Amino acid sequence: MITHPAPAAVRTAAPQPSHAPARRRRPRLTLHRTLSRAIIVVIVVAQVYPLAWLFLTSLRTEQDFAAGNPFALPSALTLDNFSRAFATGNLGLNILNSFIVTMGANVLIVVLGMMAAYAIQVLGFRLSKLVRGVFLMGIIVPVQIALVPLFIDYSKVGLLDTYQSMIVPLAGFALPMSVYLFSSFFEYIPRETYEAASLDGAGPYRIFGLITLPLSLNTVVTVVLVNSIFIWNDFIFANTFVLTEGLKTIPLGLQNYIGAMGKTDWTATFAAVCVTVTPLLLVFLVLNKAMIQGLEAGASKG
Amino acid sequence: MLPTRSRLSVLVFLLPPLVVYGAAVLFPILQSLVLSFFSWNGIGDMEFVGLANYVHMLTHDDVFWRSFLNSLGYLAICLVLQLGGALLVASLLLSLRRGRELVKTLYLLPAVISTVAIAFLFERIYSLDPVGLLNQVLSWLGLGALERPWLSDVNTVLAAVSAPEGWRFTGLYMLIIYAALLAVPRELEEAAILDGASRWQLFTKIRFPYIRPVWITTTIMATTYGLRGFDIPYLMTNGGPGQSSELVTTYMYKTAFTSTDYGYASTISVFIVAECLIAVGLIVMLLRRKGEA
Repeated sequence: MITHPAPAAVRTAAPQPSHAPARRRRPRLTLHRTLSRAIIVVIVVAQVYPLAWLFLTSLRTEQDFAAGNPFALPSALTLDNFSRAFATGNLGLNILNSFIVTMGANVLIVVLGMMAAYAIQVLGFRLSKLVRGVFLMGIIVPVQIALVPLFIDYSKVGLLDTYQSMIVPLAGFALPMSVYLFSSFFEYIPRETYEAASLDGAGPYRIFGLITLPLSLNTVVTVVLVNSIFIWNDFIFANTFVLTEGLKTIPLGLQNYIGAMGKTDWTATFAAVCVTVTPLLLVFLVLNKAMIQGLEAGASKG
Repeated sequence: MLPTRSRLSVLVFLLPPLVVYGAAVLFPILQSLVLSFFSWNGIGDMEFVGLANYVHMLTHDDVFWRSFLNSLGYLAICLVLQLGGALLVASLLLSLRRGRELVKTLYLLPAVISTVAIAFLFERIYSLDPVGLLNQVLSWLGLGALERPWLSDVNTVLAAVSAPEGWRFTGLYMLIIYAALLAVPRELEEAAILDGASRWQLFTKIRFPYIRPVWITTTIMATTYGLRGFDIPYLMTNGGPGQSSELVTTYMYKTAFTSTDYGYASTISVFIVAECLIAVGLIVMLLRRKGEA
């Protein structure tokens, strides 16, 4: 395998005893490959650089940041920003709230998505095509349509400013994708499995618990990972339905840093951003294989 | 169909998801439709105004039209960055022999960051005083004349608030397109190469037609996500300066929760849904037809 441009150049210069078309193609091929590699490196660096800069900035001293060369390595590393970040806001509480909302919504998304897909795909009923269509339509419905009605409904029944006020719409709008992913997975479970279980006297509930549920664990991981990214970072529902400090999730908590001290303390703000990004980032880096596979599988079936 | 199912068991499995979906999605859609025919500030009496909200929106509201055009611009930039970037990187990735997993992970990384954090980050990148990343890069490249406060310049603010959204999700679409490209049969490609097809021909004649169904799906996803884009413009500029980065979504949000004009805000949100449905219809029509021709 040719990995460096230098040996590649040597090889193309050397006479090659192979047949003509191969000799003609090889220099172009290596050139092309080197070029592709260079472009990819540039794009990936541009893509990741802002994040690297974010993490570096959180370790800079304020003076170093104010002096402002964005490419220089920090002259001195400091953890001061992190202590100021924790002193300013309610980072711990924000993270806990985000955790509760993400968990609650994920449980609903997985359990309800699986149940709906089971009813539509496995049990089957007369209007199942229609119900499936109604669910799938939800994939393209923008969340903005629900803000005003939910705000009005919540204030009527006293749900404004609760965890549920965020969890219910987050779950509702994520359900269509979950139903879609589970029902396309259920298609692949052979019918004979179900028929055999039925003959053995298992009813729909036992079949769900003993066959469908255990087989779907991979899909569950995918659904949870993909949705967690969106729910952990949800801004619009939290911003609309949550009013008190005690229920603020991470995106709302971060907003407190802007202008909290008259002038924005950027290094502390970036430290706070780093703290809030880290849990999801770790999960993502550990489980990214599973997630990438899930995304690819889900998409290529569509 | 399961032989032992009963009507009751279907209901047991179907009702709970339908209730949540109905409460969070279906019922609010109906409510918005109804509200869009009323004038209501949330406190006083609701007053039925018929089509007046729609007439006002479509014929008298300059801010609405301005924000609609801005939304199209925002969408265009997002689509170019997300789908163009995704297709480019996915194609290049195929020619790599090692490090594909690493590139995929790194490229997807921005999708994990919350929009609030992204808004902070890009505020700093665009700033002129103190000099931010972008202006610094420009002056190093000898393009100092282009330096400006990107977010307060009315000519650049729309592009400036659109780019972060494009940047954020391009990795997601890249994964999807890459998976589709991997599924293109090797024999087809090899046969084309033997017939002397150039790289460009290989792409336009073999690969792209093969991934067209996935391309339609990703275009629909990116378009509907682009049309509902809200967080980053709202957080970075709140539509300003003036209305130069106002999107239909931010305008609707302000109408609802700053001016508390629930009726009119519902009219705008019905428009956002209609816009998405029309866009999906157009995409399916255009891309399908080209495929058949």
